[in-house]
Amino acid sequence: MALSIEELKEKIMEKALKGPKTQLYVKDFYACDPEAKPRAVKNAANDLVKEGRMVFWSSGSTTMYAAKERAQKEQD
Amino acid sequence: MPKHETPLMDDLEKGPWPSFVSDLKRQAEKNPQCWDIIGQMELSFKDRMTHWKHGGIVGVFGYGGGIVGRYSDVPEQFPGVAHFHTVRLNQPSSKFYRTDLLRKMCDLWEKRGSGMTNLHGSTGDLILLGTRTEELEPLFYDLTHDLEWDLGGSGSNLRTPECCIGKARCEWSCYDTQATCHGMTMKYQDEIHRPAFPYKFKFKFSGCPNDCVAAIARSDLSAIGTWRDNIRINQDEVKKYISGENVPNGGGIPAKAKKFDIQKEVIDLCPTGCMWMEGDALKIDDAECTRCMHCLNVMPKALRPGVDQGASVMMGAKAPILDGAQLGTLVVPFIKMDPDNEFEELVDVIEKCWDYWMEHGKNRERLGETIQRIGLPTFLRVMEIEPIPQHVKEPRSNPYVFWREEEVEGGWQRDVKEFRKKHAQ
Ligand code: HEM
Ligand code: HEM
Ligand code: SF4
Ligand code: SF4
Repeated sequence: MALSIEELKEKIMEKALKGPKTQLYVKDFYACDPEAKPRAVKNAANDLVKEGRMVFWSSGSTTMYAAKERAQKEQD
Repeated sequence: MPKHETPLMDDLEKGPWPSFVSDLKRQAEKNPQCWDIIGQMELSFKDRMTHWKHGGIVGVFGYGGGIVGRYSDVPEQFPGVAHFHTVRLNQPSSKFYRTDLLRKMCDLWEKRGSGMTNLHGSTGDLILLGTRTEELEPLFYDLTHDLEWDLGGSGSNLRTPECCIGKARCEWSCYDTQATCHGMTMKYQDEIHRPAFPYKFKFKFSGCPNDCVAAIARSDLSAIGTWRDNIRINQDEVKKYISGENVPNGGGIPAKAKKFDIQKEVIDLCPTGCMWMEGDALKIDDAECTRCMHCLNVMPKALRPGVDQGASVMMGAKAPILDGAQLGTLVVPFIKMDPDNEFEELVDVIEKCWDYWMEHGKNRERLGETIQRIGLPTFLRVMEIEPIPQHVKEPRSNPYVFWREEEVEGGWQRDVKEFRKKHAQ
């Protein structure tokens, strides 16, 4: 059974906050719910950006996701 | 007055060609922070390394594409370019602009950024060069509310779709590239603005094999117009080319002293050798024609694409990030491009490929690299396409299409003991 979108979002946040890496590829979140379609995972991650809990980090050619506090700390 | 000594940059103003350094200096008279760009570049030339820091948290609210963040690593020396983000604007299809909008865009950019632009970046977008983080939201607000203009794509997103001039001005266009480009831009807004992919993904649309936007070289998925039936021949016009009444190449190539020679300039140059004369009539064996466009380009009044028109889809072009540069590989030989069914066949191809690549593509791996890694036969299976001889790239090293068990009647499970009875060990 795939997780609900809210459960999926919490799993994603957990990974973004506690994982060893600050910046994550969208693919890194697929493991949060192996049952979910890639697009559903992407949508959940994007919801978190809209809510201000995550931010995009981009080199210009690659975009990654990061928990807001962690990314901000790193940038400053 | 120049703020920095820049002998190396000044050197780039010499010579007969236009110089971006002169442009920068002219803009710096209006906007003094532009001196710092010249200054920082001078330092980079001296140090032989860039002083731009790569990337950062950028974007406007809810968008993960369209803005490329750059910061200076020597901001104390060059405060004018401490932040120097570029903004990508989604160019209109075929780059038909309204001049009033261009003027408004320039005014807005003088106010919110460096005032410098780049028409156009290699993805196709209109590029606004250099602004500070705090200007991004106000700029985005004015762009979308006053100019009704949106950002383009950047990062691991679908990049701004791009098309040739198509049916708007070109008699060769085999489908409506502008309708397609605009249609796909609207349909895939979410993919353009919110990163979904392992890496960037581009599509580009050319109306015919002349491929004026170089789709085959620059896009992960290119749709290039083509036809399935026969080249239309007007024999009267052929005769006029032979007699010299019609000018070859539409007059685009300066008339040569000698008379036009259809044998030498058309028939002998046909890459498949599928053309010949019968008396004064031109004949084509269309089954052999590869749609290279050569004969149509030389004799546009006499030859036209067939009437059963659509597009071929190529996949996997890329610049040389990993391995070498790669042209797109023909994957789907022909699809119809029909606005009435919202380009259903194209959408089907796009999404089948995305579904696979999003799941199986590695991080920072372009579609072309994925295809290389898994092999074309596997990719064709993913795309549910029957292999044809045109899919074979190197006959000696890759001549076989292997059967899979489900394709073989009775499968290939066998009773080894029975087998050994006939074939002694
Ligand atoms: C109906 C009978 C046969 C069929 C259908 C057949 C088919 C083939 C095929 C498809 C190839 C590969 C060609 C390529 O790589 O382009 C090949 C290669 C070869 N065959 Fe046969 N073959 C037959 C009989 C034989 C016999 C009787 C011999 C020897 C006594 C033989 C010796 C070879 C050799 C040495 C090669 C390798 C040639 C090379 O590497 O360039 N074949 N054969
Ligand atoms: C102990 C005996 C043998 C050994 C160790 C041996 C080994 C090999 C090897 C390593 C190859 C190259 C395979 C490849 O390209 O991957 C080969 C190819 C070949 N062998 Fe032998 N072989 C032996 C006996 C024979 C005999 C007795 C025949 C014929 C009666 C034969 C006919 C061939 C042929 C025709 C090829 C080429 C196949 C092709 O082009 O695809 N071999 N052999
Ligand atoms: S690609 Fe073909 S259809 Fe498009 S502008 Fe060029 S010649 Fe015309
Ligand atoms: S389009 Fe090219 S391949 Fe086809 S007949 Fe003309 S020259 Fe030959």
